[in-house]
Amino acid sequence: MRKFVAVVKHEYKKIVFKWTFLLGTLLLPVLALVFALVPAILFSIKGEPTRIVVVDRDGKISQRLKENLTAEKIAEKGAQAAKDAQFDITRSQDEQFRKNAQNAAAGFVFVEYSASGKTDDQIRDELRSMTVGKQIEAYLIVPQDDKAKFEFVSRKGGDFIAGSMLDEALNDAVRSERLARANINETTLKSINQRVVLDKRSIDDEGREKDSDMLLAASFVIGMMIYITLAIYGQMILGAVVEEKETRIAEILFSSARPFELMMGKLTGVALAGLTQLGIWVGSLASLIAFVAVQADLSPFLSGLPTVTPLMILLFLIYFLLGYFAFASLFALIGSVVTTVQEGGQFSFPVIMTMLVGFYFSFAVIRDPNSALSFWVSILPFFAPMTMPVRIIAATPPWWEIVLSIGINTLAIFFLVWIASRVYRIGMLMYGKRATIPEIWRWLRQA
Amino acid sequence: MLFFRKIMSESVASLVVDNVSKRFDEFTAVDGLSFEVRPGRVFGFLGPNGAGKTTTIRMIVGITAPDEGEIRLFGERVGPNVQDRIGYLPEERGLYKKMKVVDQLRYFAALKGLSGSDADKRIDRWLERMKLAEWKSKKTTDLSKGMQQKIQFISTVLHEPDLLILDEPFSGLDPVNVEFMIDVLSEFRQNEKTVIFSTHLMETAERLCHDIILINKSKKVIGGSLREVKESYGHNMIALRGSNFGTVFDDKTLVNGVAEHADELEVELAAGADGQTLLKKLIAAGATVTKFEQVEPTLNDIFIEKVGGVKSDA
Repeated sequence: MRKFVAVVKHEYKKIVFKWTFLLGTLLLPVLALVFALVPAILFSIKGEPTRIVVVDRDGKISQRLKENLTAEKIAEKGAQAAKDAQFDITRSQDEQFRKNAQNAAAGFVFVEYSASGKTDDQIRDELRSMTVGKQIEAYLIVPQDDKAKFEFVSRKGGDFIAGSMLDEALNDAVRSERLARANINETTLKSINQRVVLDKRSIDDEGREKDSDMLLAASFVIGMMIYITLAIYGQMILGAVVEEKETRIAEILFSSARPFELMMGKLTGVALAGLTQLGIWVGSLASLIAFVAVQADLSPFLSGLPTVTPLMILLFLIYFLLGYFAFASLFALIGSVVTTVQEGGQFSFPVIMTMLVGFYFSFAVIRDPNSALSFWVSILPFFAPMTMPVRIIAATPPWWEIVLSIGINTLAIFFLVWIASRVYRIGMLMYGKRATIPEIWRWLRQA
Repeated sequence: MLFFRKIMSESVASLVVDNVSKRFDEFTAVDGLSFEVRPGRVFGFLGPNGAGKTTTIRMIVGITAPDEGEIRLFGERVGPNVQDRIGYLPEERGLYKKMKVVDQLRYFAALKGLSGSDADKRIDRWLERMKLAEWKSKKTTDLSKGMQQKIQFISTVLHEPDLLILDEPFSGLDPVNVEFMIDVLSEFRQNEKTVIFSTHLMETAERLCHDIILINKSKKVIGGSLREVKESYGHNMIALRGSNFGTVFDDKTLVNGVAEHADELEVELAAGADGQTLLKKLIAAGATVTKFEQVEPTLNDIFIEKVGGVKSDA
């Protein structure tokens, strides 16, 4: 036991007391923030306004188009879209819509151009030379028949935001014009087009209500977190085992402690390091949410999140550890039969694949948490750690299923660690050549 | 009586290897090997590469178990229970690349059940002694190969083991450090510790070992105290210098052969012949003898003869 503790301490310190751990711990949230914020910031930067000429013989569509591209109209549309998506808009969000709309509207400047008395070809030539001469950025030619092609030529072809806004505004304009021609009132149409409000909710076996969209998001986040952590720390174990093999430290280790102690100590030490990192992330995320929740009124958003009880957190932790030990022992096993980390990377491919399959199974579980498939994948080793937590959120299964799943997975882990430490003991002392599968099988029988 | 003798020998020997065999599939790595190692003496474990030395050592330190036979250390069957009393410096050895010297030593000490301030004190003392004190907080990658080897040696002796097993401990060390390690070894020996020293360098073995065993192809070839081995080793050689030897060498009952070296003759006595008789006969034949020395075979000679000229070069 003392030696086990010594190994745990050693492995823990080796990871945590290193500047790369600090860097990794800080970097991931920063990275996530960058991914979340940078596009938003970039898109909110005002580009040079697009100077545009609209050639429209009877002027009806261009009139509507200009209206549609005013700040008020854009803001109204954004608010409507949010309402359709069942979001309650707070005042600060409403302001945000308005600000964005103003930016968007300022992106278009309509340039006057007289087309009277000119042929289509003349118009095209003139506008083209204006565009090339940088007097305008783009021109739009509205055909007589609104079912014909609209011609849009732009120097800034890559500006997809302005492009899509124009596209939408133009479509709205044409549609309104067609409606007017058909004598249908705009408000009448709106009420016809009103989307059905489908309030999706699911209930678990005890009749408690759950919000299914939020559920999907939460499951995805949890699955992703487990997957990433397992992949990172699994690779770390593989690396550590290969190092001990490469540097021939294994021989000293095995002459000092039992292989099972060494293996269990290593896995536990790395697990604690992983939990430390997860703890830092979860802790800071929770305090950030709490801080933001106090600052801004996010309660409508938070109330949509699935309820998480302390018992659930305990179960998540148990499943995280079950998953960790199952996959980590496989990584350790691979580490002890290969000769280099690179080789280990190739061999860990099937393990990563198994993890990914488990991750995808969790979507099947969200779709139908009570199906036979959901039952089996949440009991089978390797898959259960990914799927059961999701199942617990989606529709908590009966207790005996959870107990059965934890029992089977615990047994599986002991078996796996036992196999891994066997292969570990023999494989680690074979230098210079990679073991074949028949060889590993022989070790398991004889050692 | 036999029983009594067994008890006696066990009370003297700290390590008993009793008819031990180890097989890997079809290959027999160690075949019915028996020997005893006594405290206070340096035991030379000799043999060419692939003879079964490392396999035997791995069984002694409890990394693998014998298929047959038994290994007893201090009267106990070897296993995790006696591992803390062993210090093992493997031939294939290494250190964690990116770890500080002091942290590595602490870890290896903890694995042998030594921790806390006790370990720290000993680490400081040994680093001081090995003139490595200023390298304490450096990483392995900053150390020279010789320094790394000294660190490995410290990790082997830090927990003051009763049995020290050193597998090719001097490879890669400069002569100054070799002398230094030899000093440390004799210190261990004087403290009645048991030292097993495995090598294929016969000159070093001859210099350091009190007892030896030579194994080849998984089996014991010869063993015992260095003295016994040399004496039991058949042919006596005589280094001879002088003149007018006459026909004495023609006596086939006395002389097996004569080899001429630069300024002296190497005379191999016939089986059962005695050096004294040869000397008397030479004097009687009127020879002038300026040098007459009974030469023992070196370990190297014995090694080459017994192993059949297959000299390892690793």
